[in-house]
Amino acid sequence: MRSRIQAIGSGVLEYGVTLLAALTVNFALPYVAPGDPLHYRLGRAVESLSVEQRAELLETYGLDQPIHIQYVDYLLGITQGELGTSVMYGQPVSDVLLQRLPWTLLLVGSALVLSTVVGTLLGGLSAWREGDRTDAALMTAHVTAESAPAFWVGMLVIAVFVSWLGWFPSYGVSSVAAGSSYIGSIASIAIHLTLPLLTLTVARIGGIYLIARGSVLTTLGEDFLLFSRAKGLSDRDVLLRHALPNSLLPIYTRFTLQLGSVVGGAVVVETVFSYPGLGLLIYDAAIARDYPLLQGAFLVLTVTVIAANVLADLTYPFFDPRTTAGNTRRAAE
Amino acid sequence: MVQRQSTRRSVLKTGIGAAAGTTLLAGCTGQIDEVTGSTPGNNALRIATDSDPGSPLNIYVSSHSKFDWMKDLVYDRLLAPSPYVDEPMPGLAKETNQVDDTTWTATIRSDASWHDGEPFTADDVVFTYRYLRDGPPTRYAHHVSEAPHIETIEAVDEETVRFKCAYPCPTLADITFADLPIIPKHVWDDVEDPSKYAGLPVGTGPYELVEYESGSHLRFEANESYFMGEPLVNEVVIPIIQDHSALFTALQSGDIDTASVGLPPSTVNKFEQNDAFDLVPATTLSLVEIRINYERAPFDKHDFRWALSRGIDKKSIVDVVMLGKAVPGSEGYPHPKSPWTAQDIGQPYKPEEARATLDELGFRDRDGDGVRETPGGEELSFTLKVPSNQSSYIRAAELVAEDLTAIGLETTAKTLDPGAIGDLFSSRNFDMYISSITPHGVADPDQFVMSHRSGYLWDKEIEYPAWDSLFEDWKQTATVAERKEVLFEMQRLFNDQPTSLPLWYPEPRFAYRPEAHDKWAESPGFGIHHKWSLLPQSVRGASVTDSFE
Repeated sequence: MRSRIQAIGSGVLEYGVTLLAALTVNFALPYVAPGDPLHYRLGRAVESLSVEQRAELLETYGLDQPIHIQYVDYLLGITQGELGTSVMYGQPVSDVLLQRLPWTLLLVGSALVLSTVVGTLLGGLSAWREGDRTDAALMTAHVTAESAPAFWVGMLVIAVFVSWLGWFPSYGVSSVAAGSSYIGSIASIAIHLTLPLLTLTVARIGGIYLIARGSVLTTLGEDFLLFSRAKGLSDRDVLLRHALPNSLLPIYTRFTLQLGSVVGGAVVVETVFSYPGLGLLIYDAAIARDYPLLQGAFLVLTVTVIAANVLADLTYPFFDPRTTAGNTRRAAE
Repeated sequence: MVQRQSTRRSVLKTGIGAAAGTTLLAGCTGQIDEVTGSTPGNNALRIATDSDPGSPLNIYVSSHSKFDWMKDLVYDRLLAPSPYVDEPMPGLAKETNQVDDTTWTATIRSDASWHDGEPFTADDVVFTYRYLRDGPPTRYAHHVSEAPHIETIEAVDEETVRFKCAYPCPTLADITFADLPIIPKHVWDDVEDPSKYAGLPVGTGPYELVEYESGSHLRFEANESYFMGEPLVNEVVIPIIQDHSALFTALQSGDIDTASVGLPPSTVNKFEQNDAFDLVPATTLSLVEIRINYERAPFDKHDFRWALSRGIDKKSIVDVVMLGKAVPGSEGYPHPKSPWTAQDIGQPYKPEEARATLDELGFRDRDGDGVRETPGGEELSFTLKVPSNQSSYIRAAELVAEDLTAIGLETTAKTLDPGAIGDLFSSRNFDMYISSITPHGVADPDQFVMSHRSGYLWDKEIEYPAWDSLFEDWKQTATVAERKEVLFEMQRLFNDQPTSLPLWYPEPRFAYRPEAHDKWAESPGFGIHHKWSLLPQSVRGASVTDSFE
């Protein structure tokens, strides 16, 4: 019991230190790049500002203070749920982030689930058919997908499905002239989601496929699968009920690690499809040197990545009981 | 084993549920409101833009002049359409009078009202001008606080506002009255911090902004009781599509009706061959320029800057980079098509004279390596910085570097991210860099003078006797003609010792689907996308034309 409490305490301390370090880096990163937010806000008119006017504008956003004071204010703000005011939007950072978050969760979350499920199934199939034409075709397709830049895939998808076939809209999250029914709205969102989702899934599926294929190949060499076959189970049952489930650990690891990126958005895909998610927002904020917004977005990203790691730590024993704290220590002894 | 399987199924179900939930969550944001909101327009005119104003057209947040055409849909100015025309016509002011050298009056319309039904009054004008002069800085501020400087703004009666300047202000009507949007006192008087105000705007203009989704779109509905006449289009949607490739794909595929961005030269032929589109040329009164760090040697030498400006073959650059679809920047600074620009200025290509001038300055190639040195032996080697997101600027920078290297000034093009480019002005960490500037900078004569005080073209703290003398003359002129005369002299001086080298003046072609709207007209400085294209021809005035010559 005591060792368990110690392990939990140690874990909390580790994550606490990680969080503080990440927050510090998040605060400092935007300042490393040269620039200030006033140019974006006013354009050339910023060059007509007097020293006093410039100071007045910076004061509005708390950017007139020495950097260490800004850092302390930033940390105190976080403890009170205050992330400051976006220079680009003149709105609380939390409001701006919340406005974009659902679209990113929808796009990147869907792509993560889809690429994981399809990549795992195809990886399993490829391993099962190791060396034959199916395996070769799947391997070629996935390595190609893994190698293709997302922006290129996106442009290809637009060329085919928008410009040539005209099946899908080319931008946005919903039609600006959609019907008035709720179902119509959901359908419009789904239609607008299709191409960015396809692009992002293609961009991500290669990695999952390769991990799944390798993991299933390793599992297929285990004695218990030989025993399963000896029992007379069909190939389908051997693959789906025994080989795949016992190959999930590396896939689950990748899935949970990628969970953290769900709120980071997908800058390239969101840009190509003008999908107003967090990725596009972070890109815009970086261009505009919107320090409060960048810091807020990085904070959300950091917390999510750490939360994903915690989730992985907590749920790992569920998939592999050997990884519980006690067992790990015994194994080490 | 059974337990593990059933748990996995639960996880799968939870995942699917979460995905569906997220879909619904996304649907429950403003987007749903947008698509289920008031009379969503299957017939809405869709004019895409590449820039997010960042707010529901709050003039403090969306201060940048590139959003002027959107703000004009909602707000009106005292005179119209802009300072970039010969003679502005009445707007919210039906008449303006210069009482004496420093005093003007404006008589306002009595038939205009705000979108919320409140009557428009002289108090609104007084409030706006004082607010822009004394409030947080915006791009409008210098028009009331420095060039010119309006000391007192007061309502004489219910329909008349009097303006008293600190020094003669003959162009107050033509420039300031034609530039500043009028905002409602009854709304803004209660706003504590204008830079954080997020309410939908209340204006007097032909359109009411009814919806703004950051990063997505703006939706406008026609103001049927607009004092100049009912708009031609009932609903306007402005989708925000930042990526130009996506923007023109959307145009071609019919997802939008027109784009407020000119066609890239390489796509003009494709759109010309498409029967679904009409193309028109229209000037935007902007220019692409090389900015020079005049505080750093040898750029601080007037003759050196002259030689630099004459060493660049701008026509070749336009032919290569813009496929000939722009005007070479040889006609100098400011924009040659502004009614406020002298017609006898220029920065022509004269490489031999540039070499001779550099020789006279003592900048010679003493070691025979092709690069000139200062009399002290230091090589004249420079960096030309360029934003990494502008492919045409990058190609132009390479050609400029070749031209300057050919006259013995070794120049290297270097890309920087756009945010870093924006900081160069204040950091002064550059030799030269390429950027662009809007009509507010290059077609507005007061801004030209202001730019010599703010540091953009010159800094008022740096001694420049020839300019300072002209500036004193400029301040004393009391008529538009006299002021133009001094202004033109300033422009001649500038182009002989330029701190900005125009590379080209864009002459974009705009594509639109005539089946959606075909009453487009050109307003100088705005192209075809402005409120006058959406109003009856009878109210557009002489400066807004649909002849597209």
